Parts: sequence; C-alpha cells; structure tokens
Amino acid sequence: MDPDSRSRDPDSRSRDPDSRSWDWDRPQCRAQMDEIFFRQHDYIPAGSPEHADFWAFFERFQRFKMKKDVSGCGGSRKEERDEGKESRKSSAAKVDIGLPQEYDARYRINVSVCTRDVEERLGRSEQGGRRSSAGPGSQEVTDCRLALLHFLDFSQRQSFGKLAKLRREQKNLPIFQYRDRIVDLVRRHPVVVVAGDTGCGKSTQVPQYLLDAGFSHIACTQPRRIACISLAKRVTFESLNQYGSKVGYQIRFETTRTAATKLLFVTEGLLLRQIQQDGALAQYQVVIVDEVHERHLHCDFLLGVLRSLLLSRPALRLILMSATINIKLFSSYFNNAPVLQVPGRLFPIQVIYQPIPPEEQVSRSEKMDPRPYLRVLQGIDQRYPPEERGDLLIFLSGVAEISTIQEACQVYATHTRRWIVLPLHSTLSLAQQDKVFDIAPPSVRKCIISTNIAETSVTIDGVRFVVDSGKVKEMSFDPKAKMQRLQEFWISRASSEQRKGRAGRTGPGVCYRLYAESDYDAFAPYPVPEIHRVALDSLILQMKSMSLGDPLSFAFIDPPPADRIQTAVTYLKEQGALDRHSELTSIGSLLAQLPVDVVIGKMLVLGSLFNLVEPVLTVAAALSVQSPFLRSAQHNPDCTTARQPLHSSQGDPFTLLNTFNAWVEVKGERGGGSRKWCRRRGLEEQRLYEMVNLRKQFKDLLKSHSLLESEFSAPSGGHRSQRRERLTERRKLHQLKRDHEQQEGSRRKVLRLEEGQEGESSSGSDGEETGRGKKDKDGSGQNMDIQEVKFKLRHNVSELQEAASSSQDLSSRQHSLLKLLLCRGLYPQLALPDEHNSTRKDTEQVFHTKNKHGVVIHPTSVFASDPEVLHVPEDETGHTAPDRRDSSRHQLLAFVTLLETNKPYLSNCVRVPALQALLLVANSVDSNSDCTRLVVDGWLELELRDAEGALKVLSTALTLRTDWERLLLAQLGKGTTGGLGGPGVSRRDMEKLSEGLVRFLLYTEVSYSLRRLTAFQTQNLYIGPQPEQDPSQTQTANLNPLFPGVEAKPDPVKGGLRVTGFFTYNCLADSRDLYSECLRTFWTCPNCDLYMPLTPLERMQHEASCRPAAELQQEGEPENGKASSSSASSLTRVYHCDVCDEDLSLTSTEILKHKRQHMYSAK
Amino acid sequence: MEQTTQDYEPPQKIFTCNLCGLATPFTYYGQKPPNTRAIVLLEECFVTRDPFNPDKEKFLVLGSNCSLCSNTVCVGADCSLFYTKRFCMPCVNKHLDQFPHQIQTELAKKKQSSKAAVP
Repeated sequence: MDPDSRSRDPDSRSRDPDSRSWDWDRPQCRAQMDEIFFRQHDYIPAGSPEHADFWAFFERFQRFKMKKDVSGCGGSRKEERDEGKESRKSSAAKVDIGLPQEYDARYRINVSVCTRDVEERLGRSEQGGRRSSAGPGSQEVTDCRLALLHFLDFSQRQSFGKLAKLRREQKNLPIFQYRDRIVDLVRRHPVVVVAGDTGCGKSTQVPQYLLDAGFSHIACTQPRRIACISLAKRVTFESLNQYGSKVGYQIRFETTRTAATKLLFVTEGLLLRQIQQDGALAQYQVVIVDEVHERHLHCDFLLGVLRSLLLSRPALRLILMSATINIKLFSSYFNNAPVLQVPGRLFPIQVIYQPIPPEEQVSRSEKMDPRPYLRVLQGIDQRYPPEERGDLLIFLSGVAEISTIQEACQVYATHTRRWIVLPLHSTLSLAQQDKVFDIAPPSVRKCIISTNIAETSVTIDGVRFVVDSGKVKEMSFDPKAKMQRLQEFWISRASSEQRKGRAGRTGPGVCYRLYAESDYDAFAPYPVPEIHRVALDSLILQMKSMSLGDPLSFAFIDPPPADRIQTAVTYLKEQGALDRHSELTSIGSLLAQLPVDVVIGKMLVLGSLFNLVEPVLTVAAALSVQSPFLRSAQHNPDCTTARQPLHSSQGDPFTLLNTFNAWVEVKGERGGGSRKWCRRRGLEEQRLYEMVNLRKQFKDLLKSHSLLESEFSAPSGGHRSQRRERLTERRKLHQLKRDHEQQEGSRRKVLRLEEGQEGESSSGSDGEETGRGKKDKDGSGQNMDIQEVKFKLRHNVSELQEAASSSQDLSSRQHSLLKLLLCRGLYPQLALPDEHNSTRKDTEQVFHTKNKHGVVIHPTSVFASDPEVLHVPEDETGHTAPDRRDSSRHQLLAFVTLLETNKPYLSNCVRVPALQALLLVANSVDSNSDCTRLVVDGWLELELRDAEGALKVLSTALTLRTDWERLLLAQLGKGTTGGLGGPGVSRRDMEKLSEGLVRFLLYTEVSYSLRRLTAFQTQNLYIGPQPEQDPSQTQTANLNPLFPGVEAKPDPVKGGLRVTGFFTYNCLADSRDLYSECLRTFWTCPNCDLYMPLTPLERMQHEASCRPAAELQQEGEPENGKASSSSASSLTRVYHCDVCDEDLSLTSTEILKHKRQHMYSAK
Repeated sequence: MEQTTQDYEPPQKIFTCNLCGLATPFTYYGQKPPNTRAIVLLEECFVTRDPFNPDKEKFLVLGSNCSLCSNTVCVGADCSLFYTKRFCMPCVNKHLDQFPHQIQTELAKKKQSSKAAVP
C-alpha cells in the first residue's frame, strides 16, 4: 500500500463522486464508522469515554494531516528516498536490519486491531471497496483505521509517560537508595526506626517498599485524618492501584477499606480503638507509626501499647518513622532498635536574625506592632524582582495576632499591588483555608499568615520566604483550677527548624527569624510532648478499659507526672466512671468506648434512659465538634440577624440544637441549598456534617450497647417503584462521588489580586433559593456539593427530619429535663454567677467555679449577649441581711469548657435552677441539723428560710435520686448483659421518674440564699468526728431505707451521719442550734395516716419509704409482679427489737412506731 | 489468624528495563493481551493493566526485547524505538544509518534538546 495515497487532499473529496455524501462531522457518518470500529465487543466500544476521546483525537489528527500535506512535504519525499538508498548502500557491509524502504509513520505503531473491516476482508476475501449508496468508502475506512491505530499508540504513550514520570520521581527521592536496606531491616528486626526530614519521601515510600517486598496487612498511622486521606490517595496512585482497593484509609467516619486492602492508613486514635477491640491486633502484620516525633498524646500511648503487644506477638513488625528529632529516645525505648537515617531534600536556606527592637515589642495588653513584619515585605520587594516567583509564609502564635498583622499587610498590599494576603488557621472556613493553595498571578506573591498549622499539618508548595515570630500558643491543662489554658510560649529549636524548612521545599529560600540567635540557643530543644500538657482523663479511662493495669506503672516513653494521673483518676471517680477502687464502673466501660469527652458520654447514657435520646444525641454531637458559628461572621449584622431565631436563652447547647434542627429541615427541603442557608448565617456547614456523622455514630454505639432500641421501622418501605427510585438515586449518588474523587485535586485556581481585601464573608446580598428542587433541575448534579452527596449516601434525611422535629417541639417540661441531663453530664463543671452581677455592665459579668474565681463568659455564648436571664429577679422577697439575697430563682451555669486565653472563659453554657440541680447531681451535700443550711461540694452554701420546706425539698430530692440511680443501673445492666438479662427499665418507671424530676425542677418554690464559701469558712466547715454518739441515734442510723444494705454511719471526717453516698446529715459546724437534730416536731405524712413527732432525719426516712397508697397498689398489679416484690422487700426489712427480743419484718416507719411504743411505755 | 514473618505474598512478576531501570509489575507477556478482544501486538510485549484508566480491560505495554540484541527495554523514547520491530537505543545508534531520514532527524533533535535541558 502506498502511504501517500492515504493522505489525500481534502479538496479531492468533492471531486470524488463516491464521497460526495461523506462528511466526517455528520453524526450519521460517524455512526457508520462506529459500526465498523467501535462495536460493543471491540476494545473501544461506542459510548465509552475512550470513544469520545477518539473522535476528538480524530479531528486533531485530520487537521494535522492536512497541514502536513499543504506544507508540501511531497517535494522532499523524493530526496529522502534517494538519501535513504544511498545511506543504505554505504552501510551494506554491515548487517541489514531489514527495514522497509519507504518511511511510514504507521510502522512506528506496534499494535494492530482486528475490527469489522478486517474480519470482512478475511472472511470474504475480496469484497472490494464498493459500498452501499451512503456507506463509507474503502478510503474512509482506511482513514479511520489509521486514526484509530494512531489513537491507540497515543493513549499508550500517554499512560506510559505517566508511569515513567512516576517511577522517575520515586527514584529521585532520597529514601529510594535505602529501599533494600529498609526491607532487610524490617525482615530481621521487630522494630525499626526510620528517621528522615521533610521531603525524603518516607511516608509515601516505606509502605510501598514493604508492600512490594511481599508484606501485607500493613497499618500506617497518621496523627491527622487529612493526612490519612491524602497519603492513601497518593500511595494508591503511585502503586498503580488507583482503581483498586489494595491501599485504603480508615478514619472516624469514613473508610475505603475492603477485604482486598493490604495497606491501610489510619489515625492513631483509630488504631488504638482497634486494639481496644482486638487486643492482639491480629489483623495486621506490620504497623508503621508515622510522625512519632510530633509526640501527640495518642501516639505516645500507642507506642506504649505496641511495646507491650510485641511481647505477645513477636512476629509483628513495627516501624517508627520520625523527623530527625530525638531519634535516640525512640530507639532506646524499643530495646535499641536499629535506626536508619535518611537525608532530607531541602534546598539551602539563608537564615537572617532580625530581633524586634524593644520599642516595637508587645506589652501584654496591646496589639502587636506590625512594623517588623512590614519591613520584611518591603525588603523582599526591594531585593527580589517580582518575576522571580516565591511566596511568603509568616508564622504567628494565634488568630488575634494574625488579624492584626493581616490588616497591616493588606494596607501595604493594596498600595503596592504586589501581594495577596491570606490568613491560615483552623477556625477559618475550609474554603478559606483552601485558598492558600491557589496560585498568585504573575509578579504577585502570596503572603500567608499562619499559626503553627503550617508547620507540619499543612504543606504549601512554592514558599520561598519564611518569617518566624518564634512564638506559639499551646494548650495546657491546669489541674489546680481544672482549666485549659491557651498560653503563648517561645517555640523549641526543633519547631524553629521545621518552620525554616518550609522555605526550602521547592528551591533555595530565606528565613527571617524575628528573634536573636541567642534566643534561639536558649530555646528548648524539643516541644513539650502533649502528654505533659493536657488533661489525661480520656487516656486513663481508655487504659482502664484496655486492662493495662495501674496507669502509674505503665511504661510510657515519657511518663506524665504521677499527680497528673492522680488528678485524672480522681476526676473519673467524681464522674462515676471509676469506683472507689479505681476500677471501671459499668458506665465507665461504656464511656471508654465513646470517642468523646467523659462529660459528653455521660449525657448520652443519661439521655438514653428518658425519652430524650434524639435531642441528647444532637447536643452531644454538637458539643464534640468545633462550633459551626464562624467568628468572622459575628460582626456582620446580616448574619447576626439571620442567626437570631436560632438563639436560645436556655444556653448554647440549645442554640446548637436549634441550629442543627433548622439545618436538617433545610436539607430535607432544599438539599444542596443548605450551603447558601449556612453562608447567610455565618455557619461552617462542614461542622454540621461532622455533627450529623457523629450523631449517627453515637446512635449506633448506644444501640450496640442495647441502650437504645434498634427501630425496626423499615426505611425501605413503600411501593416497589419508590424503592426502585431510591435505589437508582443511590446509584446516581455513588457515581457522583466516584466522579468527584476522580477529578479531585490539581485544579488550582489563580487568585485575584483583590482576594485578601474582600470581607471575610460574602454573605447577605445573594438571596436564597426558595423554589425547591430548583437545583436538581438545572444543576443536574454537575456542581452538586460533594458533601451533600456523601450526606445523602450516609443518612436517611426523612428519618433525621423526624428526629429534628421531635426535638424541636420540646415542651417546657422536656426542656427542663434535658437541661438537667446536660447538667448531670457536665457536673462538676458548674459556675456560680457573682452576686453583684446585676449591678455590673453586661460585659463585666463575673462567675466563679469551685477551683477558679473570676471567670467570664466567652463572647460567643448566648449569656454574653443576654446576661439578664441569669440574674435573680428583683421582685423576689428581699434581703434578710445586707449580704444575703433570698430567692427561689437562683441559677447556676453548667459549662463544657473553661479555657484561659487572655482571660478565663466559659463556653457552651446552659443555665439550671441552682437548688434543684445541685440536690439532684452533686456528689456531696452536707446539712446542718434542721437541714436549713446546706453545703454542696464544699464550696456552695445554700440557706433555706423555712425548715419545713427545706426538709421537704431535701427528702424529695433524695427519693428522686434513689429512683434515678436504680433505673440508671438497670438500664446499664441491660447493656452489659446483652439486653436479655435484667428486666431493664419499664416505661412506666421511667415516666414516673421524669414526671417527678420535672415537677421538682419546675415547681419547687423554696426561698433560699446561694453563695460561695470563703476560704475561712471552708476550713471550719465540719464538726468533725464525734467521740460519743447518742445510742438512740446509732439505732436510727441502721435504719437506712434509702439505700437498703448500705448502712448510714457516722462520717469519719466530717462528722454527722452519712445517710447516702452523697448526703451527710448534720455534719456542718452550725453554732445556731445544737439540739435541733433531736428535736421532734409533729408531722403528718401526706401518704399514710402517720401523725407523730419526728426528728428531721426520721421524717426524711419515712418519706423515702412511704409511697402514696395508689402507687403501691399499682405496683402490685400482675404485669409488674417482679418489680413489686423487689420494691416491697426493699421497703420492709428485718428488724430485731431488743425489747421484745424478736425479729420483725417491718418498714422503717413501722420500726419507728414500734420503737416509739417502747419509749412511751418505758416512760 | 496470626501471620508469621514467612507469610509473604508471592512477589509479583516484575518488568525491569535494562537501560533506565524502570521496574514495575507486569501481568502478561506475549502478543495477545487478555481481555483486549481485537488487539494484536506486533511484537512480544510485557503488558500490564493500564493503571491510569478506570476500565479494567485497558492494557498498557511496558516494554519488550530488542529485536537485534534481545535486551529487555521499556517503550520509553529514551530507551527504545519501534519501527516495524523493537530496537533498543544502543542498537538504533549502531544502525542509525539504516533508519529513515525522518527518524534520524527526530533523534538528533531530541538529543540536542535533552542536552540543552541538562545544565
């Protein structure tokens, strides 16, 4: 075949009578070709993406051919041919490699394809080029065939090019040379430490080396979720498994793991949870712990756990990967494990020390002086021509500092038009965080002002200049004040080097240190590990649930101080998670499995008892994620107005609850329209997605512990057609998710110069879509929000809506019950409003916790903008003494966090009625003899005006608490026995209890004063142990119907009588009257016909055991047979009367009567 | 359940280019890659599934043996050239004069540009 004849002049088409009707652009013509080359069983079937690619390629190919023909290569052809002949002659002496004489590009393609034209030619050997009237002629077929071959060749080259590039990059990584060494070390040693600096490639390559060497079941931990995802993605790509599941990740709510997964990236926390469930960690052969030098709490703990696990699993391989920081520590912790040190790949970085002159240094209360930073910007502009690219990264300690410097830099940037200023910190919206990866236009540099988030978590390429303030804000825990503290510190030398290194990732760079070299030398070598800084409650709880023995003797790599552990143990005991012997309680073992703070876990368990699961789930989830309310939107009046309806004067958890419910409502109605809804309110939607995921996880956990009935309502109900519809919808969503995953990344925008100048939120003007379904019509999913897709895949929106609406229309009774549950969960995190708050300005309201006086409410809280709701109403019956205010409306705040930044702030607060809440949740309530004076937890003093009322309140509370405790234990018992054992909690018991609690909360009208004890008062609080006890009193002490089996004993420390675990009677050193404890007053029991003189204690005891007659009868009904017999037996007890010398089975009241009988007769 | 150190997966068959060292697993050697229907290769090739294509049945030719010296080479332009047969670069250079003019100029151009890129 003559190649020349194929590439015909396009004009010749019109001359050829056969092809007059042939037009490559006509769909019909293409369809005819498709029938020849792209049949359904061909390599490229019509309709596939490659098919579309082919026709696009075809057009280019034709154009290319045309151009070549027009440029008249024909003339030179002959010459070439001659030349070729000549050269061949000259080399005749050599071997003839047998190449054809004529050049044809076709010869360069090593593929042949057997399509219909070939089949036909082979079948009916000569069919000729004739075709039916409008069908393609042989020429067209030949043209198309040639194009197809070139297309195949082109695709091969493209894919191979990618592969070659990938392999080249892998080979160029510093770690590549150590590949065999690493595999060899891992084969020979149980533990290997791989140390390498940024850019050496350890995180992506080491797992692959092990995979390639034949290891499977590899887990690689990361401190951050985001790193799990991005590493899994990268390694999947590099190991050519983009479309398989050999490599996957697993984080809290998401996993790509399948049975085929051999390498799994997980968070440290998640691996710990896996160990909690599977102590031998049998599912893995290799565990790689990455970034060990960061010394996160989980990581340090994980290392300790793995270290002991190695003893029982000698075949397990452990690889620690670290920056070249403190390597010896890790090696020696693991029995001098071998260390492989890999050089990093950093370009040289020039370090310039520019200490801030004293006059520009910040004093504590002032804003930062931006001049040192502006000088760096100016210096860069003067020294480096704008066409030399390279961005600037400034490290500051916190958000306030960032906005100060950002403001100043923006002024400079607007003036010079050479900078785009971008902030970067974790409270920014994700979209705003993402901007730092976008590209600046030519001759403009990005100036990224960041917290230490850019030190390790976020890596931005293209940074050439770094400014290091040398400061960092770190969270620490103050065990004395029970307070988190965010304080500014000098960084360590290791952090300082890490910051510097950010300038040399893509080329040589410069690092400006705004401190002196002597400062640098004085820095600590390494940052303080997290385990030394934070509260250890959750860690200790987890250790207990993993049966790791005494936390004090656990071999941590760097053990926390013993008193810190002790603080945590004490705290867990206070919370009821550990018992007196520091063993897990049943609630504690449940809490250990919840990936949240103990207080929030408690709320969940408490909520499961009452009919308040839905709102409690939401509140618990909301309190466990970052606030969805963006700080930046607070100063935007439009946002504030739009948020107003969401606010609840009950407290922040209720505002969050409202917000979540409203969002779910919007999601149900408008789907993707919720994004706009959130933007208008200054809400970060991501947080709401996190909430809904967390909520689901909580719900599943409660179900798996039988604390929640798994509803059997079949969500797949409805007609077959509906079900099918849902199925197709799901399939569509899955496709959308896959598509999104495929096109993700590498779509960086170019920033506009005005980027930084715009206000932080672009809300307001754009109206919300109200027409429902509008999005679905015109968007056809193309720009559908991927979060929305995932949301729909994961959750049943209508079910959520139901839950939302049920928790939206809470009655005031349910409201107060929910508040009580939150309060009990949060206890002992309570704060008392200062008594003079009503005379102070709104911004100067002060509160006190037990351990920290003078705290304030965080400005984001509802109570910061509306403090009056916490004040004691003025109209209450006034002052009995100048320093004493009586009211029945005192309130306390239960709070989630106490965090000190520039001031100690309370956040996420809820208000509760003080007396009722304290009596129902406090661990320690002490009274005087007539119970008019109560001291709670040794710091709050309540004085009740009326002794009669005081007794009533106290005894109601005692009864309610007993019932509550009993039901809670039954509920938890149900969980531990797998839902089959105990009788669980009957609906009626539960309703009766909630009714009682609500009535107590809402209708207790007792006037009292509330104040905090002074230090002096606390010292002389108790009467202390009394040497001599009145014998008649010890008798009554044995009558303890509140907790049958537990004897009321004199309290060895406080004195008085310990009536229940939390209530000690008459132990307060109360000078006023010494005899009232023995003073009997006549009293009529409202439930029985008892009328006799009783001491306060006797009366309480009677009330605790005496039930209304109606109630007792009810309990006798057959459906409740079991419960009644147990409750009846709990009321009567065997009493041995010394006088009669007889064993009597009596209720406590009867015992009293009986004894009284002897007393009177003795007289 | 517990794995022992000996419990390695059988290592995959690896294709390695003897010139550039590119190494990657291959799944098939021959002229008729599996599941590719009408495709016939004009030489015996090392083939794998195209990892960059979501379609499982798309193949990717990694390399083959030089028709003259039988050296295993990848299809990368720096290592080999196909012109009716596979030639490794050393063989191409040895017999450069027998190749058509177009190929010779192309190679000369490439050499120059790669030289320019080096410093």
